[in-house]
Amino acid sequence: MISAVTGFLEKFGEGLLFTARILKLCLAGKVSYEGLFDQIWKVFKESLPTTMVAGFFVGAIMTVQFSLQIAPFGALGYLGGLATSATIREVGPLLIAFLLSGKIGAFTAAELGTMKVTEQIDAIRCLGSDPLTEVIAPRFMGIIVASLFLLVFGLILSVAGGLLMGALFSGINAQEYLRHIPTLISSLSVFTGLIKCLCFSFVIASVCTYLGHQTTGGARGVGQSVIHTAVFSMVSIVVADWLSSFILDSLLRSAGLL
Amino acid sequence: MLEFKSVKKSFETKTVLDGISFKTEVGEILFILGTSGTGKSVLLKLIVGLLNVSAGEIWLDEEKISDLKEEDLFPVRKKCGMVFQHPALFDSETVFGNLSYGIRPHLSGLSSGEIKKKVLENLEVVGLTEDLLEKKPSQLSYGMQKRVSLARTLCLQPEMLLFDEPTTGLDPVTTEAVNQLILNASRKYGSTSLVVSHDMKSALKVADRILVLDQGKIIELATPKEIVSSRVPLVQDFLSEVLND
Repeated sequence: MISAVTGFLEKFGEGLLFTARILKLCLAGKVSYEGLFDQIWKVFKESLPTTMVAGFFVGAIMTVQFSLQIAPFGALGYLGGLATSATIREVGPLLIAFLLSGKIGAFTAAELGTMKVTEQIDAIRCLGSDPLTEVIAPRFMGIIVASLFLLVFGLILSVAGGLLMGALFSGINAQEYLRHIPTLISSLSVFTGLIKCLCFSFVIASVCTYLGHQTTGGARGVGQSVIHTAVFSMVSIVVADWLSSFILDSLLRSAGLL
Repeated sequence: MLEFKSVKKSFETKTVLDGISFKTEVGEILFILGTSGTGKSVLLKLIVGLLNVSAGEIWLDEEKISDLKEEDLFPVRKKCGMVFQHPALFDSETVFGNLSYGIRPHLSGLSSGEIKKKVLENLEVVGLTEDLLEKKPSQLSYGMQKRVSLARTLCLQPEMLLFDEPTTGLDPVTTEAVNQLILNASRKYGSTSLVVSHDMKSALKVADRILVLDQGKIIELATPKEIVSSRVPLVQDFLSEVLND
């Protein structure tokens, strides 16, 4: 038990150091820009349909749930505001990030893991380049940028999903649905949602690049990296959600904004 | 000239190389034979700094290379071209992209015309033709991928070639072709070659000297002629396979 905990802490520390090295490279502008734009486009293009569907249905689900809760109180006029607020601030970023971690995270871990076990990473070093600069950092930054856009796009679609479900399920027209959104959602709520999206993108990028790069042991090792990426990303996203809520709340309170 | 001085390499509690010492001669082809897990590939990876030695020293042309930092290893890696056990080609790149990877303008200072010329030259050395340049590695056979991998290394014009099991998984005809390529590349560029292999038949044909490793130690280092009359049991086991063929 103790050795498992120390082993986990050791890996966690290594992961943090690895992420710090990549961040340092990115901040120093030592990223292959061609690779970076390729990655952003690839991730965005491949995950857009999934994110749109997920975003749309998250909004729809929240609307149905809130409708069931507030209809007995005759407060359906607030349905749009409540459903959108909950979606943008909490549930939307969380669920869409889960989905992206399964799609982008697992794909990247498998891709990097395969490159590692088939010695492509070693070959890059032997050909005089740094795999961190050429392969890892572009993927890391690409995932952060593309995921952030995808999350925002998913959240916009969630409003559309809520709007449609409000009309179909609760008989609320679009004007009525949208009326109380500005009442319940301030620019601060949108800002909080965006910060969470950024944190989740960062978590997905860090976990999948680190675990992909650490892969050993052939096809079985690649499989394990993919599983570990899916599990650790989701757990880390939940932890990041709690941590970002806690920190943002404290900061906004101390600034007198809440 | 490459020299190993009492090199040890351990992974946690397991010692893979245990006090290895040898020198290579300029332009020779040295085969490194041994059973699986005796540290043959590790030995090559120590030379190019993909792994670090646990103890001892490695010298290349009067320079101690075993304690160089990652950022100082590029000249060593340029001198010692490594051909991996897997072709290790980049899936997303074309054959041209793979061949030119190590000589891109920012790495080599060459113009695009010079790069293309060099790529074509080395493609010819490994017996492949220009029409493959725009193909992706997945469109090539395994034997062709191995050749492209060798050509990619040759583009760096290394003084020393390190082959990690070049004929593993190949049919006898392709094995023979790869052996010929090792000879050609070595003779054309005057490179010293270190070839890690299980294949005694190839070693007897191609090598100038053969080094046999067992349990992390050198148990034999001799010319093919001397190896044939060796009394070392493991060497005899390898030889019996050749005789059975």
